[in-house]
Amino acid sequence: MDHYTPESPQPRGLQMARSMCWHCQSAVTGEYFCERCVKVQPVSKETDHFTCLGFPRRLTLDPKKLEAKFYELSRTFHPDFYQTKSPAEQTISLGNAAVLNTAYRTLRDPIQRAEYLLALETGSVKDIRTSPPAELFEEILELQDTLEEFRSSDRDSQEGRELRAVLETEQRGLEQRRQEMEAQLHQLFTDWDQLQDRGEATSPAREERDRLLKHMRDLLSNRTYVTSIVNDLAATIA
Amino acid sequence: MAYSDKVVDHFNNPRNMGSFKKDEDGIGTGMVGAPECGDVMKLQIKVQNDTIVDAKFKTFGCGSAIASSSLATEWLKGKTIEEAQQIKNTDIVQELNLPPVKIHCSVLAEDAIKAALADYQKKADGEASGTK
Repeated sequence: MDHYTPESPQPRGLQMARSMCWHCQSAVTGEYFCERCVKVQPVSKETDHFTCLGFPRRLTLDPKKLEAKFYELSRTFHPDFYQTKSPAEQTISLGNAAVLNTAYRTLRDPIQRAEYLLALETGSVKDIRTSPPAELFEEILELQDTLEEFRSSDRDSQEGRELRAVLETEQRGLEQRRQEMEAQLHQLFTDWDQLQDRGEATSPAREERDRLLKHMRDLLSNRTYVTSIVNDLAATIA
Repeated sequence: MAYSDKVVDHFNNPRNMGSFKKDEDGIGTGMVGAPECGDVMKLQIKVQNDTIVDAKFKTFGCGSAIASSSLATEWLKGKTIEEAQQIKNTDIVQELNLPPVKIHCSVLAEDAIKAALADYQKKADGEASGTK
């Protein structure tokens, strides 16, 4: 067994390939139903979440439109509406409903959406090599020592109260930094979408694309580290 | 899902927790993180005559990450640089009986070992060529 790496997604061309209708064998041209025999068609598990919900690969999606589309498709595929249909159609509706739920759960959260888009665009997280943020790591590990001291101290003692005050200040500082990171991320999301909308295939455009992906990767990672220590802080001093 | 006895043992009695001063002679420092889960690991080695005479770690993360780095420091002590290069994450998985969802913790430990060795090598090379 070698290093664990998540499977890289299929190339985009393959995901969009339409097969024949499973029922009447005609070439399926409709989005979710066969245009000839009107049978429901399975959404392939290889279909990316954006395509599944009928949205372009963008990072600033209107949450209301996303929700509306999700509800619409939920009704379309809901297994309750297939109870009188054939077993094959029931199975397809169930599968589609599951794929749809996963897609919506991922895309409705901006951070998860960005993580997902990065995975689609670059393969696994580890494919973008970034240097670890050494200063942030040192800070986290030092903070952990303080947390450990606090855990083993008598909380009502002078020392315990002082440590708590230190940790509370740290927590506020880190939460502030996380908000700043999120603000930066949202700016990058807008930059990314604008770049995609321009659709240029020039080499400056490609450089800009790589720069944005790397910057987003860094910020998303650092945000995860900060979130992780903030949660630990909050749970300990609560 | 329960942790194996060995993981629990390393978690409750971590070996070689702590740190060396980074700029001391013969110290190699590896600092790595897992952006997927937010775990952070620092692993340091102390080298004399091509042999690792001491190792220390600090880890912020789950039980498996702590156990993996604790075990790594135990294994590193007494090994030559070359022997240390051979340590694989799969060895750690096997020894600690890590479930599939925790394999990334062992990968992190292997990355930390590699980073510490590389850092030591870089410092040693710098000294040899007198550029320090």
